[in-house]
Parts: sequence; structure tokens; C-alpha cells
Amino acid sequence: MIEKQSPVERLHLLWIALFSAGILFALRVINLQILMHSYYKEISDRNRTQIIPQTAPRGRIFTRDGTAVATSKPSFSMVYFPQEGQNLKSLEKMARALSGSLNLSIEEFRTALYKSVKGLPVKLAEGISDKNMFLISEMRTIYSGINIITESRRFYPFGAFLSHMTGYIGKMEARDWEKYSKERDYTMDSRIGKSGLEKAFEKSLKGKDGGVYLEVDSKGRLMSILESRRWQPGSDIFLTVDFRIQKAAEDGLAGSLTGKGAVVAVDPRSGAILAFASTPDYDPNMYVLGAAGPDAERLKQAPEFNCAIQGTYAPGSAFKIVVAAAALELNKIKPEETFFCPGFYDAGSRIFRCWEKKGHGNMNFLNGIAHSCDVYFYNLGLKTGAMNIEKFSKMFRLGELSNVALAGEKAGNLFGPTRRLAKMSYWFIGDTLNLSIGQGELLATPMQLAQIASAVANRGTFWKPYFVDRVADADGNTVYKEEPEILSKVSLRPSTWDLLRDGLEKAVLEGTGRPARIAGARVFGKTGTAQNPHGKDHAWFVAFAETDVEPSRIAVCVLVEFGEHGASSAAPIAKQVIEAALGDKNSDEWLVNSGEQKKN
Amino acid sequence: MVFQRANLKKSRMDWALLAAIVAVLIIGTIAISSSVFFMPHQSKIIKTQIMAIPIGFTVLFAIWSLNYQVFQDQWKLVYTIMLLALIGVLFFGVVERGARSWYRLPLFSVQPSEFARIGVILALANYLDKRFGRIKELSTVLGAIVLVFPVFFLLIKQPDFSAVLVTLPIILIMLFCAGADVFHLSVILGYSLITALFPIAWTIVDLNPELRNSAAMNMFFRFSEFGINTAIFVAAVSGTAYFLWVLSRKLYAKISGVYFAGAALVIILGFLSGIMVKSQMKEYQQKRLEVFLSPDADPKGAGYNLIQAKVAMGSGGFFGKGIFSGTQSRLGFVPERHTDFILAVIGEEMGFWGTMIVMVLYIFIMRRLIFIAHIARDRFGYLTICGIFGMFMIYFLVNFGMLLGLSPVAGVPLPLLSYGGSNLVATLTAVGVAQSVYARRYALA
Repeated sequence: MIEKQSPVERLHLLWIALFSAGILFALRVINLQILMHSYYKEISDRNRTQIIPQTAPRGRIFTRDGTAVATSKPSFSMVYFPQEGQNLKSLEKMARALSGSLNLSIEEFRTALYKSVKGLPVKLAEGISDKNMFLISEMRTIYSGINIITESRRFYPFGAFLSHMTGYIGKMEARDWEKYSKERDYTMDSRIGKSGLEKAFEKSLKGKDGGVYLEVDSKGRLMSILESRRWQPGSDIFLTVDFRIQKAAEDGLAGSLTGKGAVVAVDPRSGAILAFASTPDYDPNMYVLGAAGPDAERLKQAPEFNCAIQGTYAPGSAFKIVVAAAALELNKIKPEETFFCPGFYDAGSRIFRCWEKKGHGNMNFLNGIAHSCDVYFYNLGLKTGAMNIEKFSKMFRLGELSNVALAGEKAGNLFGPTRRLAKMSYWFIGDTLNLSIGQGELLATPMQLAQIASAVANRGTFWKPYFVDRVADADGNTVYKEEPEILSKVSLRPSTWDLLRDGLEKAVLEGTGRPARIAGARVFGKTGTAQNPHGKDHAWFVAFAETDVEPSRIAVCVLVEFGEHGASSAAPIAKQVIEAALGDKNSDEWLVNSGEQKKN
Repeated sequence: MVFQRANLKKSRMDWALLAAIVAVLIIGTIAISSSVFFMPHQSKIIKTQIMAIPIGFTVLFAIWSLNYQVFQDQWKLVYTIMLLALIGVLFFGVVERGARSWYRLPLFSVQPSEFARIGVILALANYLDKRFGRIKELSTVLGAIVLVFPVFFLLIKQPDFSAVLVTLPIILIMLFCAGADVFHLSVILGYSLITALFPIAWTIVDLNPELRNSAAMNMFFRFSEFGINTAIFVAAVSGTAYFLWVLSRKLYAKISGVYFAGAALVIILGFLSGIMVKSQMKEYQQKRLEVFLSPDADPKGAGYNLIQAKVAMGSGGFFGKGIFSGTQSRLGFVPERHTDFILAVIGEEMGFWGTMIVMVLYIFIMRRLIFIAHIARDRFGYLTICGIFGMFMIYFLVNFGMLLGLSPVAGVPLPLLSYGGSNLVATLTAVGVAQSVYARRYALA
């Protein structure tokens, strides 16, 4: 037998060694596959999945008639999954190739691609055009790891429409990141509201970002989409602004003499802003892509200046409303009292001219305000006294912020003896005369004059101007509702208000405000011309209007920069705006406030 | 004895062994088809596998039908053909992955080193059978080395370190099973380990520059060239051996000085030949050694492959992710997944059960081989089976050990499971020889 011929026991030693090794292996396998299973399972899932954050659609912004002025649309982004064996050299090569064929800046690609060295997917480009989509799908065959995902991108369907109120969104800067990095839902790539509503309501509009879990192979190629964690859309904002009124305001400004200026329309019953236009304006869409987008050049000169709350101008004759109110309330004149206007006023040391060089002749109160006779108001001013005028302009909130919820509002400049004194300077009679017709150092914003028009319309209530009616979450539940807020009240005798209204109505019917006359409606208005030492005068028109009963439904202030004459440039715009407001049948049904406010 | 002669039926084929072989082959083919699913040449790989299986079984049955003793009679012919094939591949072979070890034939490629292993087993079995009377002598061991030296030389020329790594232990196992002196064997084992260890260690230090930060490692690296350092090393080893010998004398331990001198000599000779091997190695051989030591070296580090293979196995869990559903292997995270790391694919897709079934099947195959060795008709048959057993054992230990983190990473496949046409046919050839030994056993007579 073989046992006698060969040392078979040695084979058995080997068998024992092998069997022991087998037991050792089995223990190892139990440890690896059963005890450590969950640990390795997690690694394996992490291995094959890449998460691409997906921006949630920002909340939409609606005007009160339900038109969306800011919405979201799908957009394509190019992402890159890090690859096995990539290095800075190969990434640099890819950056060159991509920027070369897509005709985009190489810097962006380089920065983004270099981030992928850490092994995380990066976003290379956003908002890819159809043409580039085609090019990219070709390049994907050469450079694996490049993939395209769909995202939601901010879109302003009407372009520049209402842009000074909506504001825009853009990429974060370092100081923004300091602020938002504490918030959980923000990444360095997140777009944030940079101005206007987008900034003020950033947190409501943002929504919750989602993510796509992608299965990728070891080369970073997309194999399949495992799971999409849905985003939660941001809350929608419903504005008090009316699309038609806003459109009338913007069209009016665009068609004006210079195309520059501002229109502010408020509802005197609540302070709700109905129109808010400022030109030059900008298309907020171009900010969405920022410097990487096609509008990089235009972006640099984008006019962010918001004329309606940041532009300060001498109110000119529009200020005569305040002067008249002071004179009437303080019984400094009788309405029927007349002053003769020869076309100038001799103040002794200097001649002060009326805008009508021929002179107006004898002027009583109604005619004086209707024809905006400067000489009449010189006399009125002197009788009332600069101190009183200053007091009344303060009462009418000149030099004070309206506290509208937009950044950068200017308070203008209150002008009067008290202010002069504070500056350790003297007050001259010429200053009184200048003040009486709203010139000189007095400065006001279109928003402030709209406030004054509104206060005259509702007999003394200064509302805080607001434009967000409510914020509703994605399910339609109201999460925030803005209530009208009274800033201050001016208590004048009813006869004073009546006279002011009569004067302003007469101005529209037969005076300087005739271009704003509307058949079938009562329009009360006042023109104004702000003397501009740097060029042509600015044109003002402030007005309010009602169809049959008080209170008025709209108060409007129009400013046309370098428009020369309030009557010819500004008044027609106000007319269009008022027509849009009064012609809107819904406007009466749509009442922000309950019945008690109506009585106001 | 565990084997009950009465259980032996008058069968000419060891059906149990064949069934186990077929089972492993089926599992392997499934795992290969799954792992190559997303690979660029997947259809070619599957085609080769499908083609190798019938060829392998044809060879298996052909050899089974022959009397294995013909290989002893014609060992010179077998040995010469083997050497010629290995020489020829150096001239006519094509280079793949750094090694010139492939004959390109019209339909497929053949790797002669895979078959050389069987040639070595047969030649050595004949030699040891003839030298059985003087098996304890050192000359027998030296003669065996002389016999297989040309094969090793030609394998290193390719260079095919994987074949060297597998063939060397087979020779030792055969010598051991033939009854060679254990002391001689340990000297050879020690010498070859040291010879191999130094170049490998130097290469590892070379591959991981951070290791050289430590003074000791840097010093060690300086020993890799002949010079004053060599003399210091030789003196240090001799001195230490002498000191230990003196120490053992003082402690009245009766250990012959020969052992100390021998140990010192083995270390010094191993060291010297290690330096020689290192200096003689051509650049491409060095490169190949690096690849062998850290397959698919990439920026993520040498450990990446092994970690990913472990992740694959571990994430499989008890029941696995399901056949054709392994994410680690199919998505390419496991390297060499259809060859050396095929076990990771099985572990991931078939889970703990799959791994255990494969392991049990291998151990069963080896158990059957031991059984066949027992019942072999003659010593040549016994020694041949010992060689085949050794071959399976080395593949099994190195590959499983590597994947389980118990042995260093080496590019060694699992026979019958890993993809590789030549390896499959060669393994089935070896199984054919085993079946032939079984068929012509004593009990049948």
C-alpha cells in the first residue's frame, strides 16, 4: 500500500494546516460579511451614489390680479463627477476644452473643476443654452464624468417689469456667506435675494432644496437615478401692486419725454402700493446667471438706483398743497382774498418771477392753486410764515422715511428756518419765497409726494406704504399677512380739506393739470416743476382720483426727470395710471381692508 | 484510516470531485458574466470563458482516458515540450500587462506558464519517485532545485511573478510529501524567503517614500547595494549568531553549533542573492514587481483595491445583493473583479452563503485529492496528486487570505473561478491527471 511507500502522514499535516486556515478564513468571513455588514454596506452605498443638490423653485411673486411677475422655470446645469485617476493636469485640459467649445470663461471651469479633487461632484455651468446642450452631449463621449441635470431657475417673465420692487437674486458673496452659512439649507452655490422683495423675503421665498441620488460607476459615469428627494417650493408672495396699473405706469414712463423717472401709486384707503415704477430699470433675469451668463457686460451698468424712493428732488409747485393747507388751516388767508400777479414779485432786494411771465392777474385761492400762480403763493407764504410752512411740511412727513420695506430709502430734506438755525445760518425773506413754491433746499422723493396726495385724498391719514398683501406657502396657507399701519394723522378742519380738494380738482379741470382730466371721474391733481441747476427741470404731477364717492381709490405721484413741465410730461402718465386703476372693475371688490377702513 | 475501502465503488471516475469542479465552474461563470457586464470587452471575455470550458473538459477526459503512468515514462518529452514552449514565448509571445507570456493563436491566446506548472509537477514527481531511496539526502533536494531551475529562470524572464509565487511552494510541498529532510526544506524555504524578501521589501520602501522618513528604514534601504554596508551586515549577522551560540553554551542548551552557523549562512546568502536579484532585475521586471505588489497602483493609494474588495464582500451581507446586482463590482469599484478579485463579486452578490459554499467546495476538492493520493496505485501517482493538491492549496490560501486581509495583496487567481482561459484549461488538465490516478487505483484491480 501507498502508506508503506510514502510518508502520507505529511500530507495529513498539510491537511490539518489547510483545515485550520479554512476555519480562520470562515471566522474572517463571518466578521466581514455578517458582523461588519452594516458598516461596509454604508461605504458601498456612499461609493456608488452621488448627491446633486437641486435648487427648489423659489416662491412666485404675484400681482394682486394673479399675474406672476417672478416665477421659476426648468434649467439645465452641467455637473462633473470626480473620476478615478483624475489629476490637476487632466482637469486643466478639460477646463480648456470646455471653455473652448462652449465659449465660456475658462476661470469658472477651472475653479469648479479643481474643487472636484476632493471627490465631490461640482456644478460647472448653469442655464445651458440649447446650442451648448448639443455640444455638451458630444463632449460627454470624450470627457466622462460630465453630466447634465435639470434644475429650477428664477425667471421673470416680464423682464424689467416691476424690477425695482421684485429685486433680483444672485450668487453669494463672501459677506453673504458669513450670514447664510449658519442657515442649514444654504450652500456656497445657493442664489440669494440681493435686492428688493427677493432680499426682504429671502427666507420665505427660498423653499427647501431637494437632491438627486445618482448611481455612478467608478469612473464617475451616471448609471441611473436612484432617488429624487423632492424639493419644497418656497412661499408665494401676493403683492398689492396691480398688473394693469403698473403696466400703465411703466408704459407711461417709457413713452415720456426722457423715459426717466418714477411713478408711485398708492391706495389712499390703506397705503397699499398699486404701482411702483422707476426708470431706468433692469431685467432681473440677467442677474440669475451672473457673470457666467451672457449678460455679464450689461450687468456692470445695471441701474439699481431706485428713483421712487432714492431720488430726491425739489417738489416745486407740488409743494403748494402743503403751503395752502398751512395758510388755510391757520386762517392766514381767506379763500376769496385775491392777490394781483403781474408775472413777478418784488422782494425789494430781488425780483421773484412767476412761471407765467405775462402774469395771472387777480388770483383768489382756487385760481391760485389751479393755475399754480407763484406770485399768489409768494404772498401766501409770507402771510403764513416760514416757520408754519416748515411745521406743516413736517406734519406732511417731508424729510421723513415712509418706512416702505425696501432698502435704501432716502428721507429727502426738510427746509425751513429751524433747520437753518440748526446749521448756524440765517433765514432770509427770499428763502421764504423759495419755500412757498417748493424750491430751494427742500427735497422730496416721489414716494413722499405720493404719500401727501394720499393723505389729502383720505383727509389726513398717512399710511405706511406696503406692497406685500400676504405670503402663502406652497399649499396655499397664508403664513404672513400684512395689515395696514397708520404712521401719523394730520388733523385739519374739514373746510380746509374741502378747499384743498376743490383747488386740486379745479387745477385738473381748468388749470395746469388739464392733461390729466378724465371724463366720468373726479381727478384732483397738482403739477410741479423742480428747478434743476444741472440741466432741464424735473416734472412732477401728484394726483388722486375717485369715481363718485370718497375716499379716493388711487393717489399717484409721477416724476419725469428732465421732463421740463409737469403738465406736459408728468400729467399724461398720471392720467393713464388713474384710468387703469378706475377702469379696473375688480379694484373695488378687491379691498385689503374690512368695512371700517372703507368708512375712513 | 478515515477512508473506508468498502465504500469504494468500482467507478473509474471520481464523480464527487467532478461534481465539485463543475459546481465551482458554474458559480465562477455566473460571477464572471455579472462582473464584466459593464466592462468594455465583456463579450470577448464571456466568449473566451464559454470556449475554454469545452476545451478544458475535452482535455480532462482525454487525459483521464490515458494511463497517467505514461507521463512518468515520457517525462523527458513532457519536460522538453514545456521548456520549448517557455523559451518560444520569449521570442514569439505577445506582451500583455508588462509580461511577455502569451501565444496569440487565431481564436484565442495561450499562456504556457499556466501549463508549465503541470509539467513541473509531473517531472518532479518522477524525479522524487526515482530518488525515493535517497530522499533524506541533501543531494535529492539540490537535484530537485536543479531540475526546476530552468523553468524558474524562464518564468522570471517573462516575467511572470504570479507563476513563480505559486510554483515554488508546490515544489516544497512535493518535497515535503515525498519525505525530504525537514531541516533541508527549512533551509531552502528560509533561503528563498530571504532572497525574495529583500527585493520585495526594498521595492515596498521604494513605492512608499513616506516610509523612508524613519531613520531605520532609510538605513535598511541603503543596504540594497553592494558596498561597505554589505560587510557591516555580514559581520552583524555572523556576530549575532556567534553570540547566540556562546549564550546557548552558557545556558547548557545542547544545540549544535551547526545550526547557528547554518542559520547565519542562510541569512547571509539570502541577503547576498537578494542584492544580486535586485541589481540584476531589469527595469520592466522591477515595474512588474511593483504592479504585482500593488496591482493597479493609482492615486488613491495601493490599499484602495483591497479596501474596495472588502467593501464589496462586507456589503454583501448574509444573503448578498443578488446575482447581477452587486454595485461594488458591477460599477467598477472592485479592480480585477473578474480575475483575482472574483471572490469579492461572489461575496457581494451571493453573500455569506456564496462565500462559504465556494470555500467548502474548495476544501472538499482538496479533501478528494488527498483521498486520491491515498489510493494511488504507485508513488508517482501519489506525488503527482500531492503537487496538484499543493497547487490548489496555494491558490486557495493566497487568494482567500489576500481578500480577507490575512496575506499580502498578490495577483493570484482562484482556479476554476477566476476568468482566464489558459488557467481554466490547465486546471482541468490537472483534474484530468487526478481522475486518471483515481481510475487506475489499487482497489480497482
